[in-house]
Amino acid sequence: MPIVNYMEANGNRHSIDVPMGENVMRGALYNGVEGIVGECGGGLSCATCHVYVDDAWTERVGGPSSEAEEQLLENASSHVLPSSRLGCQVLVTGELDGLVVHLPESQF
Amino acid sequence: MPIDAANPVPPKFARPAGPDQVPPHVPRDLVFSTGLTNGPEFLAGPHDFMANLHKTKPPIYYDVGDFANMWHFIKHEDALFALRHPEYFSNEGNSPFPRDPDDYFYFIPPEIDPPHHRKYRNIVDPLFSPAGVKKLEGKIRQLANELIDGIADKGECEFTTAFARPLPVLIFLELVGLPKENLDLFVTWADDLMHSENQEVMGRTLKKITGYLTSVIADKKANPDEGVFSVIANAQVEGKPLAFKEILGFCTFLFIGGLDTVYATLNNVWLWLAEHPERRHEIGDRINADSDKIVEELLRRYSVTFSGREVAQDIEIRGVQLRKGDRITCILPACNYDPEVFPNPLEVDFDRPRKTILAFTVGVHSCMGGHLARLEIKIALQEWLRRIPDFELKPGTRIEYRPGGVIGPDRVPLVWRA
Repeated sequence: MPIVNYMEANGNRHSIDVPMGENVMRGALYNGVEGIVGECGGGLSCATCHVYVDDAWTERVGGPSSEAEEQLLENASSHVLPSSRLGCQVLVTGELDGLVVHLPESQF
Repeated sequence: MPIDAANPVPPKFARPAGPDQVPPHVPRDLVFSTGLTNGPEFLAGPHDFMANLHKTKPPIYYDVGDFANMWHFIKHEDALFALRHPEYFSNEGNSPFPRDPDDYFYFIPPEIDPPHHRKYRNIVDPLFSPAGVKKLEGKIRQLANELIDGIADKGECEFTTAFARPLPVLIFLELVGLPKENLDLFVTWADDLMHSENQEVMGRTLKKITGYLTSVIADKKANPDEGVFSVIANAQVEGKPLAFKEILGFCTFLFIGGLDTVYATLNNVWLWLAEHPERRHEIGDRINADSDKIVEELLRRYSVTFSGREVAQDIEIRGVQLRKGDRITCILPACNYDPEVFPNPLEVDFDRPRKTILAFTVGVHSCMGGHLARLEIKIALQEWLRRIPDFELKPGTRIEYRPGGVIGPDRVPLVWRA
């Protein structure tokens, strides 16, 4: 099972087994990782699963996958960077085994 | 205050009601009696009424009513704050449905604050996720078409009973693992619980529902299946099964949660569709490519309910002092009409920039049924507009709204060329 590394803003790190095809938001929520809220449950409706993809992974992950994700990211409460993604839109694949994402200080 | 959902006791909150019970800290000039949900002005056109609040009321005001007094929040930003900060705005004692004080249960998860609520959400979130509800897509489409089969040749129907009521109830029965034959019984219970406006009827109906669900829970424990009720009945949290009261509170809440809201939303939308032929055609053309934009904007325009909280510690918002123990309600449709967030708020514009809408509330209690609701609405639009693209309100119809906490027209009689 691929591993996703969640790096909290306070320095805590979590290495989580996330099933293939699951999204980065749920990988955090189901495993008690603080720092991702995901209040709308993955519906591209809330912008509370904001993550910063680590520089070493941005090319493989790519940018926002839809216009809706781009627009919603504008509503994210933490500073939006080129590496910003909504975690619910990043699906875990074999290619992303070892993915590192940095979590903002708060989601709202 | 931590509560033990396995051994529930009725909460003891002051519930001021009426003009003589306005707490001393509430400034006189913020007190109004708007008649939200039951006054004549509201019932004449509820969505317009709620949009108009931005013009006639301060952003936070104290509403006095026969059943309850509470602060009203109408600003999008204030609702986002309140619903996302349970340390200030708690969910305890959240639900108005009357329960037997000697045989009490909490509605789960809505009456449970974080962090405990998460353990309940984790049980059901995978089933209600976008991937989870996608498994129902074929079934929903089949049911929608069966309902349309029953009316397409007739050239007329009363939409609320012919389509909007049965579709969500049938899907709910499928999802939780209950027999389809229960449709009429559940429809009666839903009507009595949500639309009787009579505390005694509500209490009696709730007792019937919980009595029924008690036997369902026993059955699902003995004969597990893949439905949501079985999953809850047999769930393990930290290695232990849930207590009976937790299972009952969870299943009863699910019963209430999904039935009336989708019903009212469909009724609101179809009324609008009946009166706007050019928008029907636009949706017909775009529903496959742009379904999520269309559904999201229709949900913004016609959200149907409210989100209440109890103030857990004193806080000042926009210069207004809220005291611990005060009740607040976020008027979600009004928040969705906040002109600072959604310019021309009453206009249906599928190409608005994507922002957070409040139809399903926000925060950790954000509606778990949201994805299912979106899917039902999308499929209803696709199938109905494909088969009955042109229709209108039956001439002479007077649209009426019933009082209550879920807002939509009472009857929507439609006619078309069969």
